[in-house]
Amino acid sequence: MGCDCAGMMTRREMIQRLVTGATGSLLVWTFPALAAEGEDPRDRPLYAYAVDTTRCIGCCACMRACRAENDVPDGCFRTWIERYRVRANGEVLVDVAAGDDHVFEEDPVPDTVKAFFVPKLCNHCEKSVCSQVCPVGATYETPEGVVLVDQKRCIGCGYCVQACPYGTRFIHPTKHYADKCTLCYHRISRGELPACVLACPKGVRIFGDLHDPESRLSTMLKQRRYRVLKPEMGTHPKCYYLDLDFEVV
Amino acid sequence: MMNFVFPNELRVTWTVMIVLYPYITGLVAGAFIVSSLYHVFGREELRPIARFSLASAFVFLLFAPLPLLMHLGHPERAFNIMITPHFTSAMAGFGYIYSAYLLVVVLELWFVLRSDFLARARGRGPVAWLCRSLVLFNLHESPATREADHRIVKFLAGLGIPMACTLHGYVGFLFGSLKANPWWSTPLMFVIFIFSAIVSGISVLIFHYFVVFWINRWKVNGACVRSLGRYLWGFMMVAVALELLEILSITYEQTDKTEVLNTLIRTKLFMSYVVLQFLVFSLVPFLMLAVHALFRVRERVAHALIWTSATMLLVQVLLMRWNVVVGGQLVSKSMRGFTSYFPGVWEKEGLLTAAIIFTMPFLILYVFHRIVPLFPDVDGRSKQP
Amino acid sequence: MRSPSEPPESGPPPDYRHAYPVFLIMGGLLVVALAVRAWLVPETFGEFGYYRGAALDEAKVRTSRYLGRQACAECHDDVAALHAKDAHGSVECETCHGPGSAHVEDAENVLPRADRQQDCLVCHRRLDARPGSFPQIDRDEHFRLVGVTNAATACVRCHSGHEPLFMNKDLRTARLHPLIHACGDCHLGRQDQTLKQPAGHPQIFQCSYCHADVSASAAKAEHHAIACTTCHLFIKENAFSGRIVRDTDPRFCLLCHGQADFRSQDGPPLITWPGHLADVSEETPDPTRACVDCHQDQIHDLFEKEVSHGL
Repeated sequence: MGCDCAGMMTRREMIQRLVTGATGSLLVWTFPALAAEGEDPRDRPLYAYAVDTTRCIGCCACMRACRAENDVPDGCFRTWIERYRVRANGEVLVDVAAGDDHVFEEDPVPDTVKAFFVPKLCNHCEKSVCSQVCPVGATYETPEGVVLVDQKRCIGCGYCVQACPYGTRFIHPTKHYADKCTLCYHRISRGELPACVLACPKGVRIFGDLHDPESRLSTMLKQRRYRVLKPEMGTHPKCYYLDLDFEVV
Repeated sequence: MMNFVFPNELRVTWTVMIVLYPYITGLVAGAFIVSSLYHVFGREELRPIARFSLASAFVFLLFAPLPLLMHLGHPERAFNIMITPHFTSAMAGFGYIYSAYLLVVVLELWFVLRSDFLARARGRGPVAWLCRSLVLFNLHESPATREADHRIVKFLAGLGIPMACTLHGYVGFLFGSLKANPWWSTPLMFVIFIFSAIVSGISVLIFHYFVVFWINRWKVNGACVRSLGRYLWGFMMVAVALELLEILSITYEQTDKTEVLNTLIRTKLFMSYVVLQFLVFSLVPFLMLAVHALFRVRERVAHALIWTSATMLLVQVLLMRWNVVVGGQLVSKSMRGFTSYFPGVWEKEGLLTAAIIFTMPFLILYVFHRIVPLFPDVDGRSKQP
Repeated sequence: MRSPSEPPESGPPPDYRHAYPVFLIMGGLLVVALAVRAWLVPETFGEFGYYRGAALDEAKVRTSRYLGRQACAECHDDVAALHAKDAHGSVECETCHGPGSAHVEDAENVLPRADRQQDCLVCHRRLDARPGSFPQIDRDEHFRLVGVTNAATACVRCHSGHEPLFMNKDLRTARLHPLIHACGDCHLGRQDQTLKQPAGHPQIFQCSYCHADVSASAAKAEHHAIACTTCHLFIKENAFSGRIVRDTDPRFCLLCHGQADFRSQDGPPLITWPGHLADVSEETPDPTRACVDCHQDQIHDLFEKEVSHGL
């Protein structure tokens, strides 16, 4: 009898588990936010980035550092520097140091009236299109606000590459998953600086925690004028450009 | 100078495979809608082509995911899209919409062909055995079962129309909803895709029908073909008008994307878009179909006009897919420059692969036809028990 | 909406029994597919959001290759101490030398290895769009100016990367001409008290280093209490170089010496202009005459030697 009872119990348990499991997975499947833990998001850091465009000297140390730190394949860029040259007639010339050594050509342009460098990288948008359009949940925002790619789940469809308004994503030519700037997630989660921030000799790149009002980034954003790239896209980028010219897109 | 391209955009991500994919799903949707015109809307003159169009929809549907799999960086993970579908993404629905639609098409085809399977299920040989297993070893048939088949087919055909529009229109939505791409981002894209799908579907049926009939020296059903020709004329007018409307509104609105898109059309896409897609492969079929629809022409001439226009429209829709998919990627998101793309012949995602993928449905359709005749009215075999 | 060929409702009542197994099979497939799907969802999926939670830890496990200056200083503390004081103080070791982890694995593996001139020029070559406040040179022009004949000469033959302000780092005397720098160019990220007390900042450049004759003469003249830069303004000539101007227009001297109702009589001697010319001369006043035509000796003597203020 007792034996029977135990059998009944386990069966009931099993059914219960099945039902709760099925409902749970169905709910998580439909409303993934239900699965997230209910803690105060302000207890965590919210990582962001600022670029002081007035200081950049176009040495591209950041690009070399990123390549060495992250094994970025040739011909692909997690970060790059654009050079803008505005001529007297209003013509805008833009180029990048895309060669293997990342050194800008001297290539002077006559009647340049205004010229500046603009480093670019993933904007780690608050409402990132790439994680919205990823069909399998391989691109996601970490609790610290970093947009990452799950290299083991990415199917390599390239939809995120098309969806990113900033051209910061690429499909890895040999590993075939979507790849992009991770803000050096492996470094920042140990309290180190991203490699590009570390390597920048002029302090152009500023990395910090928006939830920490004392961080250099928060201070900068309180004191300086800044804008984000393509705000009309509604992506709410977390990469802030200090004193950026309107020519830059 | 419009010459700066973001460095990651020098390589085009979506290749000719992604041109082929909406092209094939368009053929599916178009062919299915033709079969439904008979099954649901009772266009009796389309009966001779109804089974052929349903079978065409089925085989094209079978091969629709192949270009996608060829394109995926990790095709072995393709089922992730069904395991963890991220429904904020337009693409996540693909697995479910495709499977559901495939289910409907397979079921409809099964009920349409059940009588034919039964006719071949008796006796020996692999075909008989195959047909027996296809009818699940239930050889019972009566007017009552036929009536049931008929009603189920009508229901499934009706259900299939919105699903066909969803499957294909959603491909249009997938492009049209990408706000980052000025050439794609328009709500019209969804509608344009559906109408161009119907055009391409009708075209491939006409093209293939004539080829098969000419090879077999069968007598072409004039009423059916001329009806298809009129449908084709109507749908192609809407499709082309919508495409022109898009260009018109881009040009007239004079927003920030006007300049870069006008440059795109005038330079990179001039040949494939302006000259080929519109001036040659839209205008000429339009005029030919208009002649056929508005004037009394001899049957031979009418057939020639219809077949030539259908063949040209088949190319037109392919060009349209190319101009959308590739054209959109030629514009840099810097809005300052353009990249270039043309597929190689031997690449993994090259022209040879595309040709093979596109030929396969026709081969499968031929095998299909060897088992169950697609044109029972004219094919002598259907009369044999 | 029945096909016109068929009279409505003419057929026998439908018999659906043969269709049941088909729908049963389809339904069974659906259930199996959903069950397989549920089984294939990764364990940690949905832990933090719509993604695989384990991916977070996987993204963290990689080792860093750039180690930071503290790691370099563990072995190279002497160089690190010198470097921290000078104009390159804000530049990380690894910016020039490459990732530290490579050097830890293989001591020989450290940049710059061969062509050091290029390594310096990556930052200091004259380049469009480089901010004018940043020191940059045209190599050929620079070599012509300082008399270097071999174009392949490495920058470090004269300049030390660790102490770039010193031309001669052994003596620590000769220093580079400071184009106008912002404090942060040298002091970025340094918790240096001198940053808050600029008055206490050591003078990194004195005019007398190059213009000893002029300085000596000026020290004896009546204007000896006036700093050179009061009259010789440092003007940026273009984005890349500056020069010291010598303004000989009388109105420049009149800024201090002109008679005006708001000016104290206790300051510098005051005159009226051009009335002063008539006062000291019987000739018709010549408005083109400059103050220095008569008063040069009260400022400083002039010397033949020219020093270029462009680099």
